[in-house]
Amino acid sequence: MTRCPLLAGFVLALAWTAGCGAGDGPIRIGVAGPFSEPRGVSMRQAAELAAREINARGGIGGRTLELVFADDSGKDAVAVRVAEALVADPSVVAVVGHLTSAATAATIGVYGSGDAPVAVISPSASDPDLTGVSPYFFRVCPTDQSHGPRLAQWARQALRARTAGVIYVNDDYGRGVRRAFAADFSRLGGTVLEEDPTLPATPTVEPYLARMQQRGGLDVLLLATEVGLAERALGEMARLGLAWPVIGGDALVGIERSGALAEGIRVSAAYLPDGGGARNEAFVDAYGRAFRGQRPDHRGAGAYDIVGLLALALRDAGPDRRAVRDYLAGVGTEHPPFEGVTGSIAFDERGDVAARTAVIGVVRSGRLVIEAAP
Amino acid sequence: MTGFNTIRWRVIGGLGVLLAGLATAALIGVGILGEMRGAVVQELDALRLSTEIGSGLVTTAFDEIRAAEQYLSTPGSGIRLQFQAAADAAFQYHRRLEQLGALTVEDRMAVSRIKQLQAIIQVDYALAHALRDLGRDAEAFAQSRAARAPATELISLVRAVSGRQAERAGQASQRLAALAARRELLLFVLLGFMVTIGTVLALATLRGVHGPLARLVTAAERFGAGDLRPVTTGRMPAEFAILADAMRGMADRLRAIVGEVVGEADRIAGSASDLSTVSAELAASSGQISTAMVDVSKGAEDQRGAVTEMGGGLDQLSKETAEMSAAAEQVAQLGAEIRTVADRHRADIAAAGGVLLNVREVVQTTSAQIIQLAQQGAAIDDFVDLIKRISSQTNLLALNAAIEAARAGEHGRGFAVVAEEVRQLADESARAAEEVARTTGLIREQVEEVTATMAAGQAKVRGIEGVAEGAARGLAEIVAAVEQVEQAAARVTQAAQLNRGTTNRLKERVREVAARSVSHASSAGQVTTAAGQQGAATQEMAAATTGMLQAAEKLRELVKGFRV
Repeated sequence: MTRCPLLAGFVLALAWTAGCGAGDGPIRIGVAGPFSEPRGVSMRQAAELAAREINARGGIGGRTLELVFADDSGKDAVAVRVAEALVADPSVVAVVGHLTSAATAATIGVYGSGDAPVAVISPSASDPDLTGVSPYFFRVCPTDQSHGPRLAQWARQALRARTAGVIYVNDDYGRGVRRAFAADFSRLGGTVLEEDPTLPATPTVEPYLARMQQRGGLDVLLLATEVGLAERALGEMARLGLAWPVIGGDALVGIERSGALAEGIRVSAAYLPDGGGARNEAFVDAYGRAFRGQRPDHRGAGAYDIVGLLALALRDAGPDRRAVRDYLAGVGTEHPPFEGVTGSIAFDERGDVAARTAVIGVVRSGRLVIEAAP
Repeated sequence: MTGFNTIRWRVIGGLGVLLAGLATAALIGVGILGEMRGAVVQELDALRLSTEIGSGLVTTAFDEIRAAEQYLSTPGSGIRLQFQAAADAAFQYHRRLEQLGALTVEDRMAVSRIKQLQAIIQVDYALAHALRDLGRDAEAFAQSRAARAPATELISLVRAVSGRQAERAGQASQRLAALAARRELLLFVLLGFMVTIGTVLALATLRGVHGPLARLVTAAERFGAGDLRPVTTGRMPAEFAILADAMRGMADRLRAIVGEVVGEADRIAGSASDLSTVSAELAASSGQISTAMVDVSKGAEDQRGAVTEMGGGLDQLSKETAEMSAAAEQVAQLGAEIRTVADRHRADIAAAGGVLLNVREVVQTTSAQIIQLAQQGAAIDDFVDLIKRISSQTNLLALNAAIEAARAGEHGRGFAVVAEEVRQLADESARAAEEVARTTGLIREQVEEVTATMAAGQAKVRGIEGVAEGAARGLAEIVAAVEQVEQAAARVTQAAQLNRGTTNRLKERVREVAARSVSHASSAGQVTTAAGQQGAATQEMAAATTGMLQAAEKLRELVKGFRV
């Protein structure tokens, strides 16, 4: 109870959040991500949708499922504080989060340590280095080991690129995609000319682009960054008159809403709303109905599946942190795989889902559509 | 329950409890050591890891900055790779730092900031390198200078984190010390508890052994002092209970034995007392016998004197009575036989006198023989009558001889003198016989008195009967001899009748009588001696009886020391 003021400072509680009560009241799970940023919107809305649907079906064993949203602003420091607050709240039996690999890496130790560790499931933290770092960490997205090789393969085979340049955001995600891509692109016979780091605070990447141009240009440019950085880089490319094909990881999902600059950009994603499947279509429809015709991204789809999976775990194992964690560890082995909108979810012993061939989407007329089916 | 009330079980139980306690203490000690070791290893691992990561971070940051600066002055792909490798290594350290479990929120913030700064520095230098590659050196150096501030901040942050880790290591060691102190206290409490239990057990065992032992010693000392009354030893361990039972059994047995001894002593003392009385009476009777026999002896002596006197008168007739002489020799032989027999009987009497129990028989025999003697007195009377008859016959013979001598006239005058002498001798002989008869009557009176006395003492002094019987046997032989004398006398009478006047034979006969009288005196002396021996034996018996009495008294004194 004494944690309530502290928690309130970091937690955005939704309308049906009724305080810190536990026991026979609602079962609460935390949802942590950069909800104040565009990339977090889909995750929040999809989670919300999932909870709404579950409660509409009668909740979990008669008890309401309540989501505790916590905004980490995409910053590691904030994420750590948010995680501390969630772990300290005994009514929170599991956490959905975080969205980014960096925030996840910074908080895994928080969730997985202490007297009462709590399971945390990320919808989109794809950094390969996160594999197996904590028995309390799970994720429903494939790692960048899926994205990097898929992009390299596509660049070499579809674009027939011989030379490539990489501009990556200098965090866990960017470094993960860069490393995976560079390794596979070289292995497939291509040459990675440059691997240049950047940060959201970096004013310009023009020196990198100018040096690439000076060195004879590229067959393909990988932007392993978030949407904001990518927009900046695309703007500078346009100013320099560079028209290299641009590809990106799943962090670029959402760039389709950036206008003409984004046209033609290819993105590797584990999930796209038009990927088909009855469950997915139903989800996309419901999502559109609930949120003014918007389309969910892979983060939303992942969050939607995680909430559904947690509801199942809570129903079967009870609202207990340890029991939930143990249930999750058995999904795909002791318990049947969870059939979600992103596909079949089964965790291996290190908390990862089976590698999944990512799809390559392309921005066409402001929409991200599948260009090459897996 | 009582099965365990033994010293053995007390010792086994006590040692068992102590060993169990010590084993528990040892187990707890081992557990504590294991726990402490685990805690120390954990803390040391955490410390080592954080130290390694901290120093690694600082080192890689320096390497990165050095390589970056070097590239700015002399660009080259080798330096560029070094820069990239240092940056990658730094991020690996970040990753490890993030995964440390023991980080506080502040630490995680700091780590997050360090990572951010690391990224900023790398981006700044990467941009500077790009600018340098493009030949825009001024921009490049400006860009590189921008990395200085984050670099400084990074170093100080890393140091701060390391410092906090070191601080936590100090806290951990304090925690460990406190844990050790608590465990130590627990061990001491446990050991103290064990020592207390051990002491209590030892004291209980000592009391369980010492108290009963002291009670047993007291009981044994009482027994030693002669107090055999039953002893209560109270409750005690089984071993001592067995010992106490054995002592009680021993006391019971001793009590019974002492009781019997006391009874026996009393009975012996009573018997000795009775015996003493009997002895005294026996002694008195012996004295009386002696006295009586002395009288008998004296009478016999008198008789012998008278016979001798008569013998002297007959002496002159000896030459003419050769047959009488032969008969007298036969009588002398008989006398020798009588002496031999008497000697043998004296030995018998002596032997009989040595044995107390034979005394009674002797006395009885003596008594009977004395009675017989009294009866034989009649025989003496007869003998005396015979003598008288011989005397009167001799007187008649002398008278006839005188008549014959008177007829012969002058020629027979000498023979008449001889005949007168013979007649006078016959008168003297008759007077001597009268004397003997009187003496014999006296003897008979004495014998009757002795018989009465002996009969009176016989009831109590049966022991003397043996001696009396021995004496009586001797006397019987005497009587037999007297019979022989009588027969010899008869033959003398026949010879005298046949030879009419052969006085030699008479004279020999008279000598025989004298010898018989001597024999009588001797026999009486034997009886007297036997009686005297009997008296001595009786005195010895009395002395022995007194000794016995004293022994019985002493026994009673000894037994009196026991309290039963």
